[in-house]
This record gives sequence, structure tokens and C-alpha cells, in this order.
Amino acid sequence: MPAVKVKRASSAVDMTAMCDVAFLLLTFFILTAQFRAQDAATIETPSSISGIKVPDKDIMTIGLDRDGKVYFGIDNQQYRMAMLDNIATAKGISFSDKEKKEFALMSNFGMPINQLKSFLSLSHEQMGKIKQPGIPTDSTGAAASNELKDWVFNARKANNNLRIALKGDNLAKFPAFKNVLATLQAQNINKFNLITGTEAPPAGWKAD
Amino acid sequence: MAEINTGGGGGKHDGGKVRSKKASTRVDMTPMVDLGFLLITFFILATTLSKPSSMTLNVPDKTKEVETEPIKASNVMTVFLGKDNKAHYIFGKAATEDPEVKTVGYGYEFRQAILENTRKVGSDKFVVVIKPTKESSYRNMVDVLDEMAITKTKRYALVDLLTPDEKTLLKDKVKLDT
Repeated sequence: MPAVKVKRASSAVDMTAMCDVAFLLLTFFILTAQFRAQDAATIETPSSISGIKVPDKDIMTIGLDRDGKVYFGIDNQQYRMAMLDNIATAKGISFSDKEKKEFALMSNFGMPINQLKSFLSLSHEQMGKIKQPGIPTDSTGAAASNELKDWVFNARKANNNLRIALKGDNLAKFPAFKNVLATLQAQNINKFNLITGTEAPPAGWKAD
Repeated sequence: MAEINTGGGGGKHDGGKVRSKKASTRVDMTPMVDLGFLLITFFILATTLSKPSSMTLNVPDKTKEVETEPIKASNVMTVFLGKDNKAHYIFGKAATEDPEVKTVGYGYEFRQAILENTRKVGSDKFVVVIKPTKESSYRNMVDVLDEMAITKTKRYALVDLLTPDEKTLLKDKVKLDT
């Protein structure tokens, strides 16, 4: 009788199942996620317990970075172009088609109007390098030097349904916020959203 | 990779006949898995999944003057947002009556203070006046507004002007000049 041979277990792992899982997850991520937009500045928002989500469309975002610089953007490319047309007419500046197209691609920006034209003629690489100085505001909200009011006004002229969302940085000082608030109030905008991160409410807390 | 070669290959064994090795029908999936996870990693990093939430802020109309009844100072808690993430508050007295200024951090301490004061006067009469100073940050303001939501304080106001009395009161807490 021959000795019973121990059958050596194969060390090859069957990767097919793992492969299936990987691609399943991949498909899920591709279908659900939306790409992060290229922003003019990094803004870290504070968190709140508010459960209301930021609306998907028709939204105007006013960004406020940690140095108090103000950025502005609206979500729809078509309206972005219309807004630029409006402001060009109001300010007596003309933009070429290429510049308009370039502007339509920017999700937000923080340039004074008089520097906008030269900024738009730059290449994408150069744009990324330039530190945007922010849109001028002031505490009265209605002075001629306050350009944020022009942008807000012309954006609403382009699309009347725009809701206003304010995205402020944790470290932004209050006076900077006050200037933005004053600008909005000067145009009789008294209701807007503050974009915040989500945090869990304290234990036992229930919404009314 | 995940496969370790255990066989001896197609070489000669014990001087036996040379046989052509049968090609395995099993496909090695390892590189494909690698690729899959690489792409997953990319998508996770490049996209946003959770949408930020938003809190609505309603501010009173500045163009219209609405006559309201004056609020009793005994029902009012005035919160000053100071520097270094500290809030100072006075409660029950106007700034002229030499009130006691208490200092709290945001979060739990602050919430306790609000809840305690709410109990004292009753939630229907309790009013919070939020006065951010220029030392305070945007985050502090959002935190306080959030506390209002947590403690369910319905009546609160955001005021950015400090009266001269309040300024003298806070002189040693917050640097208000320059």
C-alpha cells in the first residue's frame, strides 16, 4: 500500500471575486459622485447641526476666505455669460468672445472688474498661480467702490431665481462678513443661506 | 503577487519523458484588481460625496423701520463674541447697571449658560442679543447661531454695534480700539 500523499494546497488566490467588488464600487462612485469644482480659494467652512442641504441649482455663492477676501460665483455657465454681458454694459467694458468663454468656465473668481479682462487673457496655468485679490466690498454696502453689489445685482438680472449662499471660512474675521452682509442688505436681500459642514446634533436633540 | 509558483515548471524530472506543460485556463486577475482599486481611490479623492448643509439666516429689513416694544433688560442675555474663541455675556441687566460679565467657551459651556438663563425667565420671554466684535471670527458667529438652533431659542438678534457702555464694560476683555 503506497503512503497517503498529502495534497498540497494551491497558494493561488482567486482574484475574480475581489475584482468584481472593486469594479462594482468603481461603478457606484462614477455614477453617484460629482466632481469637485476648481475653486479660486480654499475655504474651510464651520460646521452646524443644520440638516438642510444646499440647493442643487440656481445658486449664487459668495465666498469669504480666511483673509477676508471675497469671491463670487454662480452655478450655471449660461447665466455666467449673461451676467458678464450685463456687467460689461453697466461698466462700459467690452469682452471678446474668447474672454467670455473663459469666464463661463470659472466656477468662482475674486478679481476686481478692472483687472478681470487682463486676468481672462492669461493661460490656465498662469491663472492658477495668480493670487486673486478678492472683490472689493465696504461696510456701507452701496458705495461706488463696492463691486460685489454690482455682481450680485447683475447676477440676479441674468437669473432672477438665484438663491444666495454664503460660504465663509472658519478664520474669517467678523468685519469681513459684515461687509458682505451690508452689501446684501443694501439690496434688500434679507434671507440667505450660510454654507456649513454637517455635524451631529447633541444627544437627545430633536428638530421641531 | 498572489500566486506563488509551486510546480517545478516543464523541466525534466527523474529522466522521464519531456511533456509540454498544459496551459492553465485560469486568468490572473491581480493586475485588474490593482487597476480597479486605483481608479476607486482616484474617484474617492477627486469627487465630493457629501453635500454641505446650509443654515438659513434671516436678517431684518434695513429699509423699513418697524416699531417694536422695548424689551425688558431682565429678559435679555447679551453675548459678546470676543477673541481667542471666547464669548462674554451679561444677563438680566443692562450694560449701564454694572452687570457681571461672564466668560465662556463655545460649545457645551455656552449651551449650559443659555439653558440656565432660559429657565430663569421662561422660554417665551427670553431674548438673546448677539454682538460680534471685530476680534471674533465667522466661525464663532456660526457657532452661536447653531447654539440658538440647538437650544431652540426663537428670539435672537444679531447686532454689530456696541454701545459706549458696553465698550467700557468689555474694555479689559476685548481690545476694541485700533
